[in-house]
Amino acid sequence: MSILSKYKANVWINEVNDIVRGACGGFLFGIPLLYTMEVWWIGSQVKPATVMLAIALTFLGVYLLNRTEGFRKRRRKSKPYEAVVDTIEAMGIGIVCTSIMLLLLREVTAQTSLSEALGKIIFESVPFTLGVALANQLLGDTRNPKEEGRKEKQPDQLHATLSDLGATLIGATIIGFNIAPTDEIPILAAAISEPRSLGIIAASLVITYGIVFEAGFADQQKRVEQKGIFQRPLSETITCYLISLMAATFMLWFFQRLTFSDPWTMWLDNVLLLGLPASIGGAAGRLAI
Amino acid sequence: MNNIGKEPRSLAEWITFGIASFILATIIGLVIYTWIENKHEPPILSVTNTQKIRENEGKFYVPFEITNSGGETAESVQIIAELEINGNVETGEQQFEFLSRNEKEEGAFVFNQDPRQGKLTIRVASYKLP
Repeated sequence: MSILSKYKANVWINEVNDIVRGACGGFLFGIPLLYTMEVWWIGSQVKPATVMLAIALTFLGVYLLNRTEGFRKRRRKSKPYEAVVDTIEAMGIGIVCTSIMLLLLREVTAQTSLSEALGKIIFESVPFTLGVALANQLLGDTRNPKEEGRKEKQPDQLHATLSDLGATLIGATIIGFNIAPTDEIPILAAAISEPRSLGIIAASLVITYGIVFEAGFADQQKRVEQKGIFQRPLSETITCYLISLMAATFMLWFFQRLTFSDPWTMWLDNVLLLGLPASIGGAAGRLAI
Repeated sequence: MNNIGKEPRSLAEWITFGIASFILATIIGLVIYTWIENKHEPPILSVTNTQKIRENEGKFYVPFEITNSGGETAESVQIIAELEINGNVETGEQQFEFLSRNEKEEGAFVFNQDPRQGKLTIRVASYKLP
């Protein structure tokens, strides 16, 4: 491979990494509000003029964030227009991710009217876009770890695995506890169809894999190098997803959302729906240790 | 590494920017479109029962569709169904949280008697503005 084509490939990989990092920051910050029905209602009844105002205010807020930080690795603060460009990109990422999530959760369907769909997408994308702009701050940023960091003594396998599982559990509980007792989970579960359940499983796995192994958040290098029983990226992702599902099940039972007399299909739908935010919290938890 | 901040934006970054601007412009365009197209009319609500009445275990299911063909969103839309058979009146009611412009929602009323034997009326009783 020539130097030029290698450089080109690198440019694309960096770009994809930047976008994934932004999207993951958005998911970390925006997922609790995606599970808030009051925000859906605002979207349903809002007037187009208010939607425009929301877009303008988001742009301003994200622009100010991008002046100091942003989701990109490379920072060029010399030119003021760079922050504008990054802001437009952050809003693009926010809008695309929110639309996908709203479609997945059936809050936007083919029957939804255009103005309602727009209202929901814009109002849900506000926290999402802020999360994109805060991506680097949310979990720090050490893509090129220093040498001394790498020489740290590796803990033994069992200890590493247990600390991973514990961190997943803590992260899943922190995010899940905010959502488990609310009415949104049963409301969403009532409208969910089987293909969408599969979609939610896929989204949970892809997003958590992205957060832990692709987005270049803090300590990612350490994660790849860390030894443990489930330390292969794919098996770690799947194991930690299962842990998050268990945490979600326990929380729903704890808050009396699910009882043993409920049919198993209801357990399944509810757990999968809470499992999405819980697994995202779990992924953040694993990076935080 | 030091001069990395001075590199021009790469092609990949420009393409991302292009796609992002396109998405944002589309969204803003659609919002402006709904803004202009908004008729500022009050909600116009209509209920129809186009589908066939279904009978199951002695109960009669009457599906209905409600649409808002007006301009603004209606909140707490209440629908009442009354079935009168030989002076006996059975009623049912249903409420929809939000019904925005051109939105269509579906549901069903359940009766103990056959609606085809009597006089069935399904109507929108009330709504409030958000």
